[in-house]
Amino acid sequence: MEIEKADESLVLETAMEAGHILLENGAEIFRVEETMDRICRHFGVESNNFFVLSNGIFATGGDGKERTFAKVQHIPVRAARLDRVVAVNQLSREVEEKGLTIEEVRDRLGQIRSMPGKSKRMQILASGIGSGCFCYLFGGSLADSMVAFLAGIILYAYLLRVRPHLSKIVGNIGGGALVTLICILCYNLGLGDQLNHMIIGSIIPLIPGVPFTNGIRDIADGDYISGAVRLLDAILVFLCIAIGVGVMFTVYRRFAGGAML
Amino acid sequence: MKMAGEIIAAAVGTVAFSLIFGVPRKYYPYCGLIGAAGWFAYAMLYNSGVCTATEATFLATVLVVLLSRFFAVREKCPVTVFLISGIFPLVPGAGIYWTAYYLVTDRVDLALGVGFDAVKAAVAIVLAIVTVFELPYRFFRLAKRREP
Repeated sequence: MEIEKADESLVLETAMEAGHILLENGAEIFRVEETMDRICRHFGVESNNFFVLSNGIFATGGDGKERTFAKVQHIPVRAARLDRVVAVNQLSREVEEKGLTIEEVRDRLGQIRSMPGKSKRMQILASGIGSGCFCYLFGGSLADSMVAFLAGIILYAYLLRVRPHLSKIVGNIGGGALVTLICILCYNLGLGDQLNHMIIGSIIPLIPGVPFTNGIRDIADGDYISGAVRLLDAILVFLCIAIGVGVMFTVYRRFAGGAML
Repeated sequence: MKMAGEIIAAAVGTVAFSLIFGVPRKYYPYCGLIGAAGWFAYAMLYNSGVCTATEATFLATVLVVLLSRFFAVREKCPVTVFLISGIFPLVPGAGIYWTAYYLVTDRVDLALGVGFDAVKAAVAIVLAIVTVFELPYRFFRLAKRREP
């Protein structure tokens, strides 16, 4: 197959863009490196070197025959959007199978970047349903699950509206405290049977599933720095949730005059 | 009967979280199936008394990762899509809660016990993921769809 040799820096830019989207939306390190490498190779750039960390990509190209190129990009961690990871993965497959041109690849990446996500309303509803289901799963009654559903909805509204303005630590402590407060209030109003199960269900949307799973995968692949950072991120969030719950319990006990929960 | 309710809750809960993580809609049935299968394996092994909670978590996670890899090859998409939401029912969320609860109620011995159990469950998940990803790709080739 004859491939027209594209401008090297354009190829590297495109590879970088693909890597950026992958990393930002919750892909593993090796997938980012592999995809960037695949794009470069397909368009005839052989001299590339990539170094990918959990929050940055370093790319260089150039040797005696090819032009020199270097770029560093900082990529802040955001909420995972796995549909974008799937789309870039599909694109990188098609680059090889269908022989797309570099312009087509750039267009597609632009489209992927502007892919609409699920509406906020849907996400909030899903958080409520998830909390309710997990509350039931961990031994709660149907009444407990209804309270967890309510708390899950309020929690996600908080995650979307308030948490982006807070630091990671304060945001997650606040989340843990918020659901505990809601559950205590509902419990005192006579809703639900067991406070414990209600809270367990409601904190589930805070659980850092993406950094936890990806951190393990990265360490298994030998990407220790990124894996360690992601796991640390997950552990920090786990701790913050526990602190949030604990703080609210302590406050409640103070006001309820030492009454046992 | 209770088991049936739990399995449905695990499936629906897993799908709810895959929606939050932006998993494309066509993969929801797989995510639900994986979440339900993981919980079913865990509950059966643990409730029957064959395994401790840690062992049950390990074996259930092995099943979740195997299924995730299988469907990833079949659907030609990243395994992350199935794994992240599928593992949710097994993550020791309840352990975190009980640790915090016992700590603030000044029952440090109990807090240490449940905290340690939560860490053991997390390590079991890590081990299971690492082990199953060591399996070579060819074991999953059976899952490939025949090209038309």
